[in-house]
Amino acid sequence: MIGLLPIVLVGSLILFLGLRLVLLSSSTHRQQQAVSIEELTKARDALDTVFVESAAIRRIFSSEDMEFIAQSSTHKVQHLFLKDRKALAIQWLRKTQKEVAQLMDIHLRLAGYTIEPSPRFELQLTARYVAFFVASYTLLLLLWLRGPFKAKRVVDYTVGVAGYFCTVFSVRLENVSAPARWS
Amino acid sequence: MLTNLIWWSGITLETAILLRGAQLGLLRKYPLFYSYIFCVFAKDLIVLLTYQFARNLYEPLYWPAELATIVASYAVIIEIFRWATRHKPGLRRLAQNLLLIVFGVTVAYAGSDFLHGRFASVSAAIVNLGRDLRYVEGGVLLVMLWLLVRYRISLGRNLVGLIVGYSFWVGLNLINLAFWFQPGNEFSVLLRSLAPATYLMTLAIWCVTLWAAHTDPEPPSESNIERDYELLLAKTQAIFARTSELLLRLTRIRP
Repeated sequence: MIGLLPIVLVGSLILFLGLRLVLLSSSTHRQQQAVSIEELTKARDALDTVFVESAAIRRIFSSEDMEFIAQSSTHKVQHLFLKDRKALAIQWLRKTQKEVAQLMDIHLRLAGYTIEPSPRFELQLTARYVAFFVASYTLLLLLWLRGPFKAKRVVDYTVGVAGYFCTVFSVRLENVSAPARWS
Repeated sequence: MLTNLIWWSGITLETAILLRGAQLGLLRKYPLFYSYIFCVFAKDLIVLLTYQFARNLYEPLYWPAELATIVASYAVIIEIFRWATRHKPGLRRLAQNLLLIVFGVTVAYAGSDFLHGRFASVSAAIVNLGRDLRYVEGGVLLVMLWLLVRYRISLGRNLVGLIVGYSFWVGLNLINLAFWFQPGNEFSVLLRSLAPATYLMTLAIWCVTLWAAHTDPEPPSESNIERDYELLLAKTQAIFARTSELLLRLTRIRP
């Protein structure tokens, strides 16, 4: 019965991807397939935000504020602060996940146009993307369970990988000098 | 009665696909796919005639004929691969390497499964070989679909129809075969009875999507991003190393 599972999984995945292919090939999706200038600008803005906000991000997960509150406030205020910080951390993480997914989406669409993509680079990027999602969901779980001040290593890793995606994308944008290509 | 109806419907649909393909010139465009359809058509016709007029030959003939069509169905994978990557030599190389790895791994898995099996008869061995070949096909098709979806490769309507029909058939066939070899499983009995209907649905998908010839999407024109790809990669790696270091320094949280 155990040997049955991978086969059923492969079969189900084939059906799922087949359906996805139909959706992607439908006329509305085909229109979305071209990378627009607005999309590029938006993604570029999102990229800048990640760099500009790095100090603020550091602050969200830093225990300094918590230590300060713990010294001078009541238990109720501490609880409120922790609750707010947790919500903020989760919001930031969700936003980062969304931005990286958008950057990856644009990269893949650009790679679709590329005549000579590098297999090594593409596989490396895929591995990083998977790792990023595993790390970011682990962080999300940690945030829920233990709060924002006890996930230092995962935060470091998540931001590092998000930065990697931003860099890849930034270099791509710098090299795009054919506006006629984009619809 | 129902069996005959399904049989004849299948043969009618196969004939329609072949005739329409010849009419529209799709036969020349997708020769491997149409060879497969012809192969299935010939098999169905032979098996049906044997069933009607020489029932004693039906069983010894059925499984070898089924095995031949499974082998022939690999041609469809080659056809899809050929068309999907025709404007992308780089992606073709990437896909080729990945597919070869998956093919090797699944052949090794299926081969060991087949060699370790104790078969009561030649037909049982053929049945097992057919199942293992289908598993290999499933693995290869899965990787190919993943690549097509991941890189959002633009495909013509005819090719999408061909791929969707094929995925539907192979996907359901895999699930069906997996349960088929689980004796006493009631779900397998249900799936087995549905198998001919799913095959008819596959033929219907192909018939509808290949009824008219559609033009394929234009290949994108070459631009700086493609010409400078290698330069881009070198730059990316250099900037990545520098920025990662910078980012980690920036985001390091004091305990």
